[in-house]
Amino acid sequence: MSNILSSLISAAGALDAFTQALDVTQNNVANAQTPGYANQTQLLTAMQFDPAEGSTGGVSAGEVVSSRDQYAEQAVRQQNVLLGQAQQNVTSFTSLQSLFDISGNSGIPYALNNLFTSFSAWGQTPTSTNAQQAVIDSATDLANAFQQTATGLAQAAQNNSSQIDQTVVQINQLAGQLAGYNSQAMSDATPDPGLDAQINSTLQQLSQYVNFTASQQSNGSVTVLVNGQVPLVIGDKAYALQDQPVTPDPASPNPNAPPTMSILASDGADITSQVTSGQLGALVNLANNVFPQYLGDGNNAGDLNTMAKQFADCVNQALTQGNISDGPPPVDGVPLFTYDTTNATNVAQTLAVDPSVTAGQLAAISPGPPEVSNGVPLALSALADPQSSGDEINGASFTEFYGSMAAAIGNGLNVANNSLQVQQSALAQAQNLRQQVSGVSLDAEAAVLLQFQQAYEANSKLITILDQLSEDTINMLTATS
Amino acid sequence: MPAAETAEHLSVARSEVKRACHLLEGASPASLEASSSALERAVSGVTDCRRGIRPGQADAHLAARVRQLRAELRHAGRLLESAADFYRGWERILGTMSGGYTAGGDPAPVARTGKLYCQG
Repeated sequence: MSNILSSLISAAGALDAFTQALDVTQNNVANAQTPGYANQTQLLTAMQFDPAEGSTGGVSAGEVVSSRDQYAEQAVRQQNVLLGQAQQNVTSFTSLQSLFDISGNSGIPYALNNLFTSFSAWGQTPTSTNAQQAVIDSATDLANAFQQTATGLAQAAQNNSSQIDQTVVQINQLAGQLAGYNSQAMSDATPDPGLDAQINSTLQQLSQYVNFTASQQSNGSVTVLVNGQVPLVIGDKAYALQDQPVTPDPASPNPNAPPTMSILASDGADITSQVTSGQLGALVNLANNVFPQYLGDGNNAGDLNTMAKQFADCVNQALTQGNISDGPPPVDGVPLFTYDTTNATNVAQTLAVDPSVTAGQLAAISPGPPEVSNGVPLALSALADPQSSGDEINGASFTEFYGSMAAAIGNGLNVANNSLQVQQSALAQAQNLRQQVSGVSLDAEAAVLLQFQQAYEANSKLITILDQLSEDTINMLTATS
Repeated sequence: MPAAETAEHLSVARSEVKRACHLLEGASPASLEASSSALERAVSGVTDCRRGIRPGQADAHLAARVRQLRAELRHAGRLLESAADFYRGWERILGTMSGGYTAGGDPAPVARTGKLYCQG
């Protein structure tokens, strides 16, 4: 008797569930032309089947969810996260570019050029105190230019770290809000459109900061995972992220190098590699890749320090190998530049002219043989256009090396600007797509997809043809230039 | 062909690619079809431009403008791909909603039986 009753209960439950599903379908049909309406789907949940325990199996009606809304919203958020990344890159690279003057009217290239000019003038009048003092003054200007650039970069790196702190705080605040909304959603008997709008708005804000996926659960809550993997919000709980400076390994070549940044999950796991885009992704990339390229890290001195050290060493070596007077006995030259020799990542920031060096102590005589009275200034002025690999830095002159550093920043800004422009379009497109897919019947969607597929193929072929044509045209125009 | 005319053809191509980008932002099938027409006109523009270039001619200014065209093409390509990604994803969801899953676990293809699609 109980088995028959169980079967009847199970059948009645299933009928009830399917009735609700039919209601949802009818609702979809009735609202097919309603602006802003999104088709909804009735979730059917399998029930436990265990006759011994009186569990009759069958299905029950779960929450009604809007697959289309979720998908379209996620598509908008995916573009927004890339837009947030592009915006941050434009801001940061614009700031960095101001530190790397390429006009030759200020900063390192200006001071370097002046120093080469003063070496050349000293070569013409090797015993002139004025010419020697001009070398000391120009060398001081160059050292100051290195210091200013390095200090500016270090300050920018510090600001970047502060921004990472602030961004993580923003992310955690939004995650907390979402957990609160989830709590309300789970306690509501029926879906609340107002609450749904608040959740979507908060997810939209969050997408500016970090890459994540959001999925609606049958209890009405939304689960948020950073990069689709690391829990940020589950149910009514938010899992706060943390940022942490990472100092180099004490056993590394540069243990006192500036720290990089790590992002940690709430359980302390390092999830830096999961933070790939959004404002936080851009900031972390700057902290861990861009700044270390110039200022160094545990293993590398950084391009700015490498250039400062190599230039200072070249000049000091030439001066100390020369003689101030040929005697007898000959008087050896003294080094001009000083820097922190204990920390390879601190050279540019500490580069200075030894204040005890006077004009008369600059060695002009190359002892030879044969002895050349202006051999040292001639060798130093030749650094502007190096003839031997010893006077080069990574196969380039000092001016060229500086140019490559500045070009990398300029290229970064250029890429960021292009990316920003494209992402603004892509976000507008995603918003248009969201608008288009809402309020269309399933049959109409099938037709739209077919239309799209044909239009996509035509556009794709035309873009390929245009790309090839334009490449050939560039080759025609530059073949002999 | 005079240099000004060659440059003018390139300008036409660039403005058509920009128009295609604007249409691709709309991302509806109708605007995608319209963008095809714009891109066809851009192909004509570049082809006409090439007729005005002598073999071995070096023109850094014109080359720079063609490079700008290529940047705009990348913009168009990016928008086309993002729209395609959206529609592909939606087709998978639609297939699942209407036909469930195949034996291999993939979303069922979207059934379009009985549909007549006309294109003018």
